[in-house]
Amino acid sequence: MTLYPARRRRNAMWMTLSVAAAAFGLSWLLLILGVLFWRGLGGLSLAVFTQMTPPPGSDGGLLNAIAGSLMMTVIGVALGAPLGMLAGTYLAEYGRHSNLAFVVRFINDILLSAPSIVIGLFIYQVMVAPMGHFSGIAGAVSLAVLVVPVVVRTTEDMLNLVPNTLREAGSALGMPRSLVIQRIGYRAARTGILTGVLLATARISGETAPLLFTALNNQFWSLNLNAPVSSLPAVIFQFALSPYKEWQQLAWTGALIITLAVLTLSVSARMLAARGTLK
Amino acid sequence: MSDMALPQISATSRGTLARNEAVKAFASSDNFFRRLTFSAAAFVLVILGGVIVSLIEGSIPALREFGFSFLTTEVWNPVTDKYGAAPAIYGTLITSIIAMAIAAPVGLGIAIFLTELCPIWLRRPIGAAIELLAGIPSIIYGIWGLFIFAPFLQQYVQPALIALFGPVPLLSSIFAGPPYGIGVLTASLILAIMVLPFITSISRDVFDTVPPMLKESAYGLGCTTWEVVRNVVIPFTRVGVIGGVMLGLGRALGETMAVTFVIGNAHKISASLIGPGTTISATIANEFTEAVGDLYTSSLVALGLILFIITFIVLAFARLMLMRLEMKAGR
Amino acid sequence: MNAIPHAEIEAVAKLEIRNLDFYYGASKALKAITLDLKANKATAFIGPSGCGKSTLLRVLNRMYDLYPNQRAEGEVLLDGENILDPDLDLNMLRARVGMVFQKPTPFPMSIYDNIAFGIRLYEKLSKSELDARVESSLRRSALWEEVKDKLASSGLGLSGGQQQRLCIARSVAISPEVILFDEPCSALDPISTAKIEELIDELTEDYTIAIVTHNMQQAARVSHYTAFMYLGELIEFGDTDRVFTSPREKRTQDYITGRFG
Repeated sequence: MTLYPARRRRNAMWMTLSVAAAAFGLSWLLLILGVLFWRGLGGLSLAVFTQMTPPPGSDGGLLNAIAGSLMMTVIGVALGAPLGMLAGTYLAEYGRHSNLAFVVRFINDILLSAPSIVIGLFIYQVMVAPMGHFSGIAGAVSLAVLVVPVVVRTTEDMLNLVPNTLREAGSALGMPRSLVIQRIGYRAARTGILTGVLLATARISGETAPLLFTALNNQFWSLNLNAPVSSLPAVIFQFALSPYKEWQQLAWTGALIITLAVLTLSVSARMLAARGTLK
Repeated sequence: MSDMALPQISATSRGTLARNEAVKAFASSDNFFRRLTFSAAAFVLVILGGVIVSLIEGSIPALREFGFSFLTTEVWNPVTDKYGAAPAIYGTLITSIIAMAIAAPVGLGIAIFLTELCPIWLRRPIGAAIELLAGIPSIIYGIWGLFIFAPFLQQYVQPALIALFGPVPLLSSIFAGPPYGIGVLTASLILAIMVLPFITSISRDVFDTVPPMLKESAYGLGCTTWEVVRNVVIPFTRVGVIGGVMLGLGRALGETMAVTFVIGNAHKISASLIGPGTTISATIANEFTEAVGDLYTSSLVALGLILFIITFIVLAFARLMLMRLEMKAGR
Repeated sequence: MNAIPHAEIEAVAKLEIRNLDFYYGASKALKAITLDLKANKATAFIGPSGCGKSTLLRVLNRMYDLYPNQRAEGEVLLDGENILDPDLDLNMLRARVGMVFQKPTPFPMSIYDNIAFGIRLYEKLSKSELDARVESSLRRSALWEEVKDKLASSGLGLSGGQQQRLCIARSVAISPEVILFDEPCSALDPISTAKIEELIDELTEDYTIAIVTHNMQQAARVSHYTAFMYLGELIEFGDTDRVFTSPREKRTQDYITGRFG
């Protein structure tokens, strides 16, 4: 078998390359997270959570930005998740074989990966321009538009996993379709659907581009949805690109806060998903 | 449905009456629910339609003013109100292509590692770590790139590249100095790191569709792991892998914040990758809130429309490829 | 089809299995299996589902090695060499011990390439030599006449029975010494099944065959020796004729007469 040693060598080479690729990928994760903690932790203090964003050159906190982000994220999910769940329900339950469902599924998957800055432009055109000013509600709506495709997809996938025998049992009792879906389908898929909502929340927590020209930014404390609202990503954008040391430090700290929030949500989603399947 | 008349007439017929009432009520609430979910699904299409219509509407002033030359002009001057999309389009395409050239093979390599080589107990943690990398928001990549990666490239890597390719005829102009740090190359590299976990996770799902019996057949003939991957796994999943790579490309094209921080925001097309440039999304992010005048704003919206069209085509293609793989795997 | 003549007792052992235990994680799936596979004979493994016959087959080419939770203890000697040795070269083993699976598994390539693929792993042949080898493999699997005009077309375009014969040709092409069949006809129609049974009969001329089957009539038609397994243990082993007409164990008797399984 004279070919064999060459085959062994080739195998060893390619397998080493793939291990190297994995090490390469993982090292970037460590690098980025490491630097983030190193630079961000330094600025983490109570002041960050109790004071407003400062004018250039002075110290302060991120309270208004955090509050604004929380508010718009919650409203965004509150608007987008129910819409997404209902649409996903249609795709899974009523529209298994319809042409409309096929098109919606296709379009939804495209919206899922569409550039978020384009969504921001869209909301600018339909809300900000007619209203004449930037507003927190416009920011929340743009986040909602990003939430919808994620929730549609996960809801449909989760409902599709519910075995048909369960549905047939409900129908056999005389339950109408809508009740079978609500009482049995949602019940069985609830962990998965919730996981999808958590993932969508994680996704929009770090989104910057759509907020840049919908909610804009606000130096002061304001929860007025009809006016510009501050948000962590917008503040980071402004502060990081500035020449002021205090602002740059706050940008790092803000980045750390966002990353921790996103990681917590993602990890919770994964743990929830794992626990759900251990039924 | 016949009512069974029993001696105790009143109780049973009341039960039956109640049941009949309930069934009638079911019909209308059932209908309502069905219509509600249908409207929600249709609304997804409305959103897409809205995006397209609003982008076109907003671009009309610019398109009417500049016509087709909008796509080819390199000028971008807010003072004289003359705008051309060429540098932005060029930047978007070149950063994405370079990013994919790096991320696609490395991402596939990691996927091969995870599906064939990795010890079982390591699979979950490493897979989770890769997913974490995918979840880091892009503004984090931006700030990291600006303060850490770009200075590093400026100090060590870029001077080395400039020196290395200096004497080489064609490549010297691609890697020409001075070493800015920020610029097209830096943005491409960061984009590569961002797209990498995405490609890995899709490729991994795609590789999992290969029936184990097929792989065992190849091992049964005495194939090495690499031979099984090269001759069975990859041909079997070829369409899905292409779809996954195209999906990654779609992501890279639309990426905004990471690129905005490190691309340098210069509206020009230069041969050197080390110099600054711009992309469509970076231009919009940087200039939209300061744009005065209808023509300026409209040009930016027109840029958005171009980006949307490009990503739409790429993503639609990717979806079709992935759908074909799913059909083949018998789902 | 002719009944297989009474097997000689002096036939040489190709594979000797000695006290084989097998574990899926903590659960023991095979208990102290001891038997010989005689050279150039076909040995059938029968028994109810879950008795361990496929598990045993997959030990013989160390296929279980692909899965971390599975391990084997004991000895399996191929021409005197213990194949359970952790230092053993698995690729070499699998070149000598081939396998045909329950469902046909043609590779996603042309019919010609399916066969040539295995050959190219081990030998550098000229185009004409390769052509000759492909043809002879396909002839040995009784597939040549049906595919000789479409060698370049995809293997997936064949019928189920033809695909399975393609897989047999693929295994035969690399000149193994032993071929393992894991319920090869369970996914096929009766006519393809009959063709493959004939094929297995012819293959014993050059190879040692082990076949797992849940079809007792197939075992009786095709094999020289039969092993009856139950719950991971070898209950009875011997000449096929004798096992089916006068089994020594009551459980064998019950299974053959359809009392259970």
